[in-house]
Amino acid sequence: MSDFFQFLISGIAVGSIYALAALGFVLIYKSSRVINFAHGQLIAIGAFVAYALVAWLKLPIALALLTAVLATGLLGFVVERVFLKRLVGQPIISVIMVTIGLASVLDGLMYLTPFGSGNFSYPAFLPQEPLRLAGITVSYPQLLAVGFTALFLLLFGWFFQRSTLGISMRAVADDQMAAMSVGVSVEKVFALAWAVAGVTAASAGMVVGTVSGLNQDSLIAIGLAVFPAVILGGLDSIPGAVVGGITIGVLQNLAAGYLNRFVPGGGTELVIPFVVLLVVLWFKPHGLFGTEEIERV
Amino acid sequence: MKRSMLLIGLTLLGLAQAQKTVSLVHSGAITGPTSDVGGPYAAAIEDYCKYANEQKLIPGYTLNCIVRDDQYQNPNAQRILEEALDRAKPAVYLGYATGAMLALKSLIQEVKLPAIPASAHIGLIDPPDNTYIFLPTSSYSEQVVALLEHIAREKKGAKVALVVHPSAFGRAPVEDARKAAAQLGLSIVDVQENGGSLDNTALLRNLEQKGAEYIVHQNVAGPVANILKDAKRLGLDKKIKQLGAIYTGGNDLIRLAGDAAEGYLWASSYYTLEEDTPGMRLHRELAAKNNRGTLGQSHNYTAGLLAAAIAVEAMKRAAQRFGRIDNVTFYDALVGMNGPNAFNPGFVVKTANSPEIDFTKSEQTGGEGLRVLEVKGGKFVPITQPFTSALFRKVHYGK
Amino acid sequence: MRNPWAQTGNYRTSYEQDTTIFATYREIVSVGVLLVALVLLPQFLERSQVLTLNFILIYAIAVLGLNITTGYAGLISVGQAAFMGVGAYTVALAAPYLPFYLTIPLGAAVAAVFGAIVGIPSLRVKHLYLALATLAFQEIFVWSVGRMPALAQGASIPVEMRNFLGYEIGFRNHNHFWYYVILFTLVLMVIAWRNLLRGKYGRALVAVRDNDRAADAMGMDPGRTKLMAFALGALYAGVAGGLLAYFQRSVVIEEFTLAKSVGFLAMAIVGGLGTVVGSLLGPAFIEYLRLLMERFSEWIKGNQVIQQVIPPGVDVASALLPLSFGLVIVLFLMFEPRGLYNWWRLVRSYFRTWPFKY
Repeated sequence: MSDFFQFLISGIAVGSIYALAALGFVLIYKSSRVINFAHGQLIAIGAFVAYALVAWLKLPIALALLTAVLATGLLGFVVERVFLKRLVGQPIISVIMVTIGLASVLDGLMYLTPFGSGNFSYPAFLPQEPLRLAGITVSYPQLLAVGFTALFLLLFGWFFQRSTLGISMRAVADDQMAAMSVGVSVEKVFALAWAVAGVTAASAGMVVGTVSGLNQDSLIAIGLAVFPAVILGGLDSIPGAVVGGITIGVLQNLAAGYLNRFVPGGGTELVIPFVVLLVVLWFKPHGLFGTEEIERV
Repeated sequence: MKRSMLLIGLTLLGLAQAQKTVSLVHSGAITGPTSDVGGPYAAAIEDYCKYANEQKLIPGYTLNCIVRDDQYQNPNAQRILEEALDRAKPAVYLGYATGAMLALKSLIQEVKLPAIPASAHIGLIDPPDNTYIFLPTSSYSEQVVALLEHIAREKKGAKVALVVHPSAFGRAPVEDARKAAAQLGLSIVDVQENGGSLDNTALLRNLEQKGAEYIVHQNVAGPVANILKDAKRLGLDKKIKQLGAIYTGGNDLIRLAGDAAEGYLWASSYYTLEEDTPGMRLHRELAAKNNRGTLGQSHNYTAGLLAAAIAVEAMKRAAQRFGRIDNVTFYDALVGMNGPNAFNPGFVVKTANSPEIDFTKSEQTGGEGLRVLEVKGGKFVPITQPFTSALFRKVHYGK
Repeated sequence: MRNPWAQTGNYRTSYEQDTTIFATYREIVSVGVLLVALVLLPQFLERSQVLTLNFILIYAIAVLGLNITTGYAGLISVGQAAFMGVGAYTVALAAPYLPFYLTIPLGAAVAAVFGAIVGIPSLRVKHLYLALATLAFQEIFVWSVGRMPALAQGASIPVEMRNFLGYEIGFRNHNHFWYYVILFTLVLMVIAWRNLLRGKYGRALVAVRDNDRAADAMGMDPGRTKLMAFALGALYAGVAGGLLAYFQRSVVIEEFTLAKSVGFLAMAIVGGLGTVVGSLLGPAFIEYLRLLMERFSEWIKGNQVIQQVIPPGVDVASALLPLSFGLVIVLFLMFEPRGLYNWWRLVRSYFRTWPFKY
């Protein structure tokens, strides 16, 4: 039984990373209906910028993390201004393809630096000894993941409920035309969504970096792992992203814990999120919290 | 007028003495998946080529190195190879990925082009179509069997789990490992595939429940680093000892896993970066001269140098013995690289009874010696003398 | 009747005319000339150049399929490489027992069945959600192959064909032989594509793409239409996969990954969605861009001046491939969203009205 709780806790920790990555993804989709295939690259760039600041410029870790988060936010902003702004009103497939192209461009930028083909890790800044409680162990990087997710969730909650900008973002997500007609700047909202997405992506990247070290391939892979999470939660729901992310994380750990023994070679945790994704699409196409589209002829 | 005559004369003289050109071609993953291995590997080949031309290692010949990025995609690898066959007529192909090499086997056999891949998948030198493929060091299977022998020496009847990469590369040694374990009296309690999960609690708990005392990895550094970290978090690092084949270790693993790497055992044929052998001195010199940074600190850089060095040495011998270098003479020179003619560049450990690099027609692995290294104080330190796997040939070829 | 050779535009006065394959006689002639040129072309090329052509033509078949699912029906698919894999593995299993002209259709049929199964969610969801269903299939496919000993767990399964009706095929003529097989198949597939989409079914696809509820009201069955689109797209991919298996002489899982699927989508976009010409131009453009960038990056590596200027640690030569690939896609979408097809159209109309401007 203690195993079960250990899997659960580990799953929540991993799921928090997915949730953190998914937050930005959902934010972009919610405001501008863009599925961002370059999200993994934003995650990787955030993580590498933080590393460069710590290891090369010898900035204190907290300052480096903060700077990297802001820098990636700025990158998100610039990407939106330069590339996506021109595509407003274009068919969905064009917009998706642009993000695929962007992913490759950002990859190329990383290959310009030693980060494209190397492995790195942050200098240890968290306590090395894990926390032990009733036979369950949690490491500090995992706590960091949970903490970051909770923090962003609170921030987002406040932002969307209370601040003018947040409310205008919700208005745009709800109905672009109507929002424009009451004077909301849709452009500003789009750019802001990308900037915030950059911020959350960088946070996710830094958490992954502390959990498992920095490798371009594995950082980018987080961008892919986000898809099942957001489908489960619903593409346009922020609480959905968190619930979806954590559910997928827990499912992966339970699969690895209880299913792998029945499958020769194991590795069910790699495929279970996608099986879930298909099943969700079958039975609850708009996810747990997603908005059902109502269409009229 | 006089001057121009002189110039023409000099030009003609120059042409008469013109160096002949010989080509080698490499295609590998400089970008794309596995570029943390492919990057240093390709960089080393480039650097060694430059060095070979500067030092005129092949008398009378200029070496033309075609180093291309196939982005880990087979069609690119295939095109790069066939383009070279059409134009540069290379004497040797330095291949890379397991998948691409397996797919290219029959083509390589048909055009009789000697190939030295970065992948050490045993299927590459097993029939059919295996005549022209040569592995610079021992195969993954041999490394894993050697690790099992090491375990058997340490603890009789130990329980071992295999954790492998979910690809042909990872699965290659599983079958031989099972056979070897049976011979050694070890029991393989589980074989799990792992391509890099953010959390390996479940994996480790399951292996613990099955009583695994050792985990043998055939993987890349990333997933192994994660498993090591999680084992430390769960307090299993004392209980379960972890070891792995060539691509699991090296400075990459230490950089990724940090303290958690302490005590990890690694089977490697290569000398470490700190050791004082001619090969490693060259490694340090070339990496510094070409500003290779982190790429130059990788054992994959050593591996690239070794592949290029074998190629250049065989070309030199082909030129000396046959007066021309092409795929045929290269092959003859390469399979003659044994006995007193073995090649000792100082990249790979040698054992008491076998030289560093030797090939024959039927023995297609070069350096069979390997050591087990352990991470101590953030560095891989050899803990065994160089040895060859006593069992591998028996379990694999049944002799 | 006006002189057909002096036509300057499309005068379509009836439904029959609207569904003709060729709008003008000039088109028939130009297609004929193109075909003759394609048949003769390999005679002037090196083996490796024919190899590049072969890949382009195989990808063109897969992209044609994608142009049914994505271009016509508007269902974004990031699983085209997996469907290709289904075709290729079927061929690999059947090749020892059947000749290639039977295994390839068999592979196509199996791929089509898989396409229909993956398309089932399209009965309920649309747009982006559907794209993710294909993503899931892509990942599940690669994972499953890795678990199947019958498929060599993703390692190589050799597919050798050394003899066709007494004609020996080896290194010397392998590429050329398969060039003609692939070209012939491509022509068949294009004809089928045109015939399929110029009629009732093609119109139904467009109607469903543009507004499936309206289409429903007009008496079309959007669910069945979408399923058909999926199955047909997968069928084309299956054909491409089968050809690839024979041409590469083996089947390896690395050929059928997500990166490949995304690549096909890029080819379709760069070429121009929903067009035959685009399906050819897209793959050709992407492949030749890669060749060009390879040369360019070699030039950079060899150029001393550039090497001096670049700060150490910056690897321009390696970054060039992903950078150029991405930039091309992005720039096309920003400045020429209709793809290369549009350039082709502009050039063509210039010649059609020459020497007059309009």
